[in-house]
Amino acid sequence: MSYNSIRTIVSTVAGVILIAAYIIYALGTNSPAPENLKSWATVMLVFIGIGAAALIIIQVLFHIALAIGIAVREREHDGKTVERIISSSMVEDERDKIIGLRSSHVGYICVGTGFIAALVALASGMANAVALHVLSGAFAVGSIMEGIVSVYYYEKGVRNG
Amino acid sequence: MAKRLIITNNIRRLRFFANEMTQLELAERAGASRQTIVALEAGKYTPSLEMAFRIADVFGVPIGEVFECRSEEENS
Repeated sequence: MSYNSIRTIVSTVAGVILIAAYIIYALGTNSPAPENLKSWATVMLVFIGIGAAALIIIQVLFHIALAIGIAVREREHDGKTVERIISSSMVEDERDKIIGLRSSHVGYICVGTGFIAALVALASGMANAVALHVLSGAFAVGSIMEGIVSVYYYEKGVRNG
Repeated sequence: MAKRLIITNNIRRLRFFANEMTQLELAERAGASRQTIVALEAGKYTPSLEMAFRIADVFGVPIGEVFECRSEEENS
């Protein structure tokens, strides 16, 4: 499995854990009242901030782990060669961009579907907080689907065009 | 509707005859990552025209010697 696949899987799993943590909080006794949109929005912003910070930490740790892994695996080579291998692993070339483009397409479909579902929830008289959760859930699902599709293309392969 | 084309390459063989060039060296000279070269050789990626020409330039051969294509019907 390639470095990009492993990194994407780790990021996606971290996202799933964060979503699970949010669901546990939302269904718990300390969650805000359904009509209190301001509190729900604040809670969501906090979780988004935690998610962003977690993602940055994961990326940093992954780069460090990659550098150490390559240095150990290629220890028969000199330091300069190891540096070149590390640099080459972190280059984002056209293949990465194509896979990113195709996986984000799936993410956009999820978000678009979630937006329509949120509108349907509002139109059918559900609480505003429900619509907010449907929309944010769509973003979360879209992000997870992007990761899954990305790993699929990295492992199975992709054609240019 | 246009027939689907299957594109293959001779990169591994050309690397061998180019003084056993490594995948890393080819990646650096072609402006790609080593993982992309690995994917190319495994048939898991079809490059853009620009990258295909760059790889051909690295080996100093025409692009037709690096990449070959045939239709899906011929393959079956």
